[in-house]
Amino acid sequence: MQQIIDFIIRKKDVVVYFILLSLSLALILNSNYFQKSKVLLLSNNISNYTKENLNFFNEYFKLKEVNFQLSEENLDLKNKLEKTNINTGLDSLRNLNFSYKNAKVISNNLSSFKNKIIINKGSNDGVKSEMGVISSNGIVGIINNTTPKFSSIISILNIEMKINAKVKRTKHFGTLEWDGFNTRHLMLNDISETANIKVGDTIVTGGMSLIFPEGINIGIVSEIINQNEFNDSVVRFVGNINKAKYLDFEFKENYLNVEVKLHNDISNLNNVYIIESFNKQEFQKLKE
Amino acid sequence: MASVYLLILKRFIFFTLLQGLIFNNFDFFDIYDPYICLVFLITFPIKINKITFMIISFFFGFVLDLYSDSIGINAAACLSIAFLRSYILSFVFGSFYDPHGIKLIKNYVTESTFSQKFLYLSSIIIIHHLIIFSLETFSFNFISLVIYKTLITFSISLIFCTTFIYIMIENEK
Repeated sequence: MQQIIDFIIRKKDVVVYFILLSLSLALILNSNYFQKSKVLLLSNNISNYTKENLNFFNEYFKLKEVNFQLSEENLDLKNKLEKTNINTGLDSLRNLNFSYKNAKVISNNLSSFKNKIIINKGSNDGVKSEMGVISSNGIVGIINNTTPKFSSIISILNIEMKINAKVKRTKHFGTLEWDGFNTRHLMLNDISETANIKVGDTIVTGGMSLIFPEGINIGIVSEIINQNEFNDSVVRFVGNINKAKYLDFEFKENYLNVEVKLHNDISNLNNVYIIESFNKQEFQKLKE
Repeated sequence: MASVYLLILKRFIFFTLLQGLIFNNFDFFDIYDPYICLVFLITFPIKINKITFMIISFFFGFVLDLYSDSIGINAAACLSIAFLRSYILSFVFGSFYDPHGIKLIKNYVTESTFSQKFLYLSSIIIIHHLIIFSLETFSFNFISLVIYKTLITFSISLIFCTTFIYIMIENEK
């Protein structure tokens, strides 16, 4: 017994290190959604208010860009209004499936593998988790946590994020994923080899999950990687550093991997729209 | 002794705010942020005993976590650096290192050869980045992503940390 106590006193640095390390590992491993929201509530009080105040100054530097984006969007909306005015005879309430709320981005960081965006609308404004978020140019992410004044979004630039999407021309479905580095491109996987996809095709949301409405623009096809061709030339690929990133993906036989160039730039987001689906509960019931 | 703790407190507040508010939004090539907060750990006074150093750096990492919404990752990385720093110092500087802290950290930086400075800074930065990125992904599937990102972020962090330490020493003269 005496020897054990002597040993602990002699190695007290190591003991303290492992106690604190296990504490921090416990924090990482136990951070499931419930506990994370508890800690985020604390961190919102400390860090988000300083960030919001700093943003107040930063907004002035971006005013020119924001004005340009808003005028573009106004033009787009006016064009859409023209089209809908033709069908005034239809009952608009009957087809109402989604409603939109606008919000402003407070913090947006791309340096992590699991990026998050924080916006200034929370549960007081009726925002709930699992709502979709879009910007004027494309999709942004899905809401993860809400506090009374703020909510956090899992961005599409997150290695765990998977979004249902389809090719607009051929109607083939696939899964959108991020490769971890390129902030302007996503990978569309699980498309069958027989699909006749070409570079330049438009990719839109699939509308399978009711988080996003069907047909929101995401981006265009910039490169098509064929698994079978990849196997033949794998030796050449390994030598090429630029293509080394593709080695991380699990390639399946007879499936295409399509690189999609995004329309919107996640790094300079300002105004985003939250999508609330009216039919979601009904849809969930049917699925069970 | 009290003045040393006051200096640490000042640096603690300064570096958490600098990292959390400015350098986390730096976004070099969109996804690479320099970790300027490592200057706090590199220039931490040597005469403070090791357990106090580990506890302080654990909370330092925890405050950084609040700013980057990643609970526990920065805390584990900063804690490990605090634990490993004395071994790194004795390995790099050899007989020049004394664990009782009569020499200041300034002496180590100014009175050593270029390769010693480089080895001290780069080993701390690389270990810190490897821990942060591998805890962030938390799976072996992304191991090449982690190494690739570590190397690029290391080169950016090294430039910024070196510049910052140089400015600190020039200011003290």
